[in-house]
Amino acid sequence: MENILKKLLKAPWVIVALTIVISAFLFWQMKENSRMETNLDKYMPQEHPAFVFSDQAEEWFGINDGIIVAIENKNGIFNTETLDTLKQLTKRLQKMDEIEKADVTSLYTADNIVGSEDGMDVKRFYKRVPKTTEKINNLKQNVIKNEMVYGRLVSTDTTVTVVIAEIKDDVFTQEFYNEILELVKSYENENIKLYVAGRPIVEGTMALLGPADMKKMVPIVLLVITLVLIIMLRSVKSTLLTMAVVFLSTLWAFGVMAVSGIPIYAVSTMIPVMLIAIGVADGIHLYSHLQLFLRKNPNATKKEGAIDMIQNMWKPVVMTSITTAIGFVSLLTSEVYPIKYFGIFTAFGVLMAMVFSLVLIPAGIMIFGLPKVKKVKSSNSENKLARNFSDWIVNHKSISIFATIAIVAVSIIGMQKIWINSSFLDKFENDSDIVLTDKFINDHFGGTTTLNLILDANGKKDAFKNPEVLKLVDKMQHKVQNDLPVVGNTFSLTDYINRMNKVMNADDEKFNTIPDSRDMVAQYLLLYEMSGDPENLNKVVNYDYEKLNITFQLKSDNSKALNSALEVINSFESDFKKQGIKIKYAGSGYKGLIFTDLILEGQIMSLILSLIIIIVLISIMFKNIKIGFIASVPIIVTAGISFGVMGFLDIPLSTTTALLSSIAIGIGIDYAVHFIEQYRINARKTSDKLIIAEKTMAHSGRAITYNAIVVIAGFMVLLFSVFPPNRELGALVSLNMFTSFIGTVTIMLVLLNISKINFNNKSNKEAK
Amino acid sequence: MRTLKLVVVAIIFLATGFSANAQLTGTQIIDKTYNRATGEDQTSTLKMTLTNKQGKQRIRTIKQFSKDFGDVEKSIMFFQSPADVKNTSFMNWSYDSDKSDDQWIYLPALKRVKRISSDSKSDYFMGSDFTYDDLGDRKLNADNHKLLREEIINGKACYVVESISKDEDYMYSKTITWIDKSNFVGVKKEFYDEVEELLKILTIKKVEEISGFYVITNSEMKNVQKNHKTTMILSGVKVNTGVSASKFSERIMTRGI
Repeated sequence: MENILKKLLKAPWVIVALTIVISAFLFWQMKENSRMETNLDKYMPQEHPAFVFSDQAEEWFGINDGIIVAIENKNGIFNTETLDTLKQLTKRLQKMDEIEKADVTSLYTADNIVGSEDGMDVKRFYKRVPKTTEKINNLKQNVIKNEMVYGRLVSTDTTVTVVIAEIKDDVFTQEFYNEILELVKSYENENIKLYVAGRPIVEGTMALLGPADMKKMVPIVLLVITLVLIIMLRSVKSTLLTMAVVFLSTLWAFGVMAVSGIPIYAVSTMIPVMLIAIGVADGIHLYSHLQLFLRKNPNATKKEGAIDMIQNMWKPVVMTSITTAIGFVSLLTSEVYPIKYFGIFTAFGVLMAMVFSLVLIPAGIMIFGLPKVKKVKSSNSENKLARNFSDWIVNHKSISIFATIAIVAVSIIGMQKIWINSSFLDKFENDSDIVLTDKFINDHFGGTTTLNLILDANGKKDAFKNPEVLKLVDKMQHKVQNDLPVVGNTFSLTDYINRMNKVMNADDEKFNTIPDSRDMVAQYLLLYEMSGDPENLNKVVNYDYEKLNITFQLKSDNSKALNSALEVINSFESDFKKQGIKIKYAGSGYKGLIFTDLILEGQIMSLILSLIIIIVLISIMFKNIKIGFIASVPIIVTAGISFGVMGFLDIPLSTTTALLSSIAIGIGIDYAVHFIEQYRINARKTSDKLIIAEKTMAHSGRAITYNAIVVIAGFMVLLFSVFPPNRELGALVSLNMFTSFIGTVTIMLVLLNISKINFNNKSNKEAK
Repeated sequence: MRTLKLVVVAIIFLATGFSANAQLTGTQIIDKTYNRATGEDQTSTLKMTLTNKQGKQRIRTIKQFSKDFGDVEKSIMFFQSPADVKNTSFMNWSYDSDKSDDQWIYLPALKRVKRISSDSKSDYFMGSDFTYDDLGDRKLNADNHKLLREEIINGKACYVVESISKDEDYMYSKTITWIDKSNFVGVKKEFYDEVEELLKILTIKKVEEISGFYVITNSEMKNVQKNHKTTMILSGVKVNTGVSASKFSERIMTRGI
């Protein structure tokens, strides 16, 4: 390995040329073939039983998420102008290519079924826009008397009405959203305000906003890191080469992604973040070593410098890169494909960063010459600082140990408070349009988040014509709605039967119940099919009346809300079981919940797995199992603190924050390996443990400090992001860098110091 | 432009001028189809099969009677199966004038006859893919008819007539009907929705001559957008057997056949 690297030094131009050619090709590939995946369904593991069932149920009942357009008129919606707007908007939406005509619901499309003494009346609420006060008042009365629309399509204060347009999962694009926004805007005037909300909007915007924000922020992060690197390394040349390593490894990762035809998922936009944080480390350690070498040997040639750098540093660079890559490869255990890809390509990028660091940086030195080492006085004070610090740490071991134990203990308390959040809305600013609109609609209607409960009688035909079963369903719906303020509405077959029973009994409220006779139920259903839109029934019950779809509307999409509803529903499980009916769930809200659980489960699995692999790997590398465990201490402490802080600050685990634990491992292990390798080299030269500590601190401690400062400074930039998950990311990456750094230079040093590991009993050739 | 149009019309007129019914306009053809002699009264058993996207079926058998009273056509039907709706009955009076239909329903479990009033003629018949209009309740002057062409379909020489609704809000923007030139019985019909996309296709699968009248005994309506279809098969069809006028009453609805 070392020999190959040394040979490569003879042909720096070839290396640079080759790198440029391949990079250019990959860049071209990326430009041609890269595409963003915005369909969130593509992120879900399609073969997972919960998703397979949900997809089936969505097909059976035509369950789709809806775009909700709310029309508000502070003076009330019952006037010619607003009703006309409602009609025009409904028709325009029906005519859009992306929307099926029958999937648009509003007061304009709804049927009004009312009962009278001698019969039943089926009417549209209005077809021609009513112009006279009398007709308008009539319409208003009809709406208020019909609980199928009052509170569902028209708010109970009659100032807001909604149009719901269901769309297929893959329909949403930024253009489509803009088209809708433009359409909606064209209807606004001083009386009428329109709002657009709904899960497709939230999902779509999130899938677009996160990466877009990342695109804007990453260059600033790079700029800040570059500036800080210049200050730290005191060399523009070194800085640019280090940044070239980061840049090229990211380019190659995305280029290979494009070549293999894998789309860019939202999580993939975290790859540059990871590679920036990890990639600069190699460069910093190499240059830091070079600088120290040049200080001792001011007259060394560039070749001598490069050779010494390679000789001493190739091992830790390779070791750290492999352990980091393994950490990411362990994400392959995840059931979620985008996460698998994230793991593979980040690992690939890390390895490429390693190759570039070992090949390109020496080549750069050969071509551009050695970085100038300014004889600054600070190098002495730097050394002094390192010495004093390590002396203090070694002399006050108990402080580090107790502090670590105390911090870990507190973190464990914090971890108990951690909760998982599958909410998409919580990822937006509280004062963003999307959140405000959602709140507005939730304030006036049942809720923007839907949970679908599927009752399955296992092929027993007509099971849901049984009044006993229907009464149980009705009871459950009432309990969920009454017990949980977060559930605004429930809807199922029972609502139709209750309504028909009332209508056929002269609109007497007493009959707003499920009738006792099974034949009665069957005949009401037949009557509804004959007089209403039979398509409506297909959305709540299947053809053989053996599967039922109950819709719960929630005012929040966060996991706490969804789980509270699930809990109440599940309390009816045994009652349904007695009737031979199974409880299952479907719909985007539920899928989101399961999806988040899956990601976290996979994340925790891969975290444990990678920790074990890394301990084994380091034990083998250093031929000592104790070192493996010592090296893992900073990682464990970092991950612990990270989760603990999230618990205390009420930051829920989400897809973004969970992935961060990978970075804790990736970076934590780098620091540890560099430090231990240096400690070993120094331990071979002297047996004075204090001097070993001092020297290691002056060498590795210095590089680690630079590394931490650079990356923390860079990621602090993300705190100014407009997308909250990216802000959390910035804060937590910075925190992780900081704790890894502190953990390595304190508790790990102490553990190395008190451990009885004998570094000298190795054969000497390893050192060379 | 205008002269060009005239020339084109003239050429079409000349080209078709030698066929037997050259003088018939689209309106006249549809008129002959709508007002084809079907007898005074008719008795039959209707087997209606609804098939959804997943291939699941709902099968209903209905005994039905209808009688033409000149300005009003009355029909009454009794469900035979499925068992849970047996004896549910339904009566419809359809007027030649613009007056909307009178409808009654009798639910045996409720033991009461109820009037149904509906302002929408686009209502679907018994939850099928047929609307009342599709089943022959559409008035001639509700549409503008235009003869598009003549062509041979299923071995039958047909007129192809396009009918465009005069009411902009009507559920079909247009329909295209293939009509057998020999007997003015429909062969096929396409229905286009409000945005002028094909919505449904009606296929007449069997026409029988019973007591000298042509009766459609097997037809299929397929909603191509929803992938849902309805077949209607008539059996035991009897025409002009002198069904009593008193059969079409609320009393008979509750009593059953």
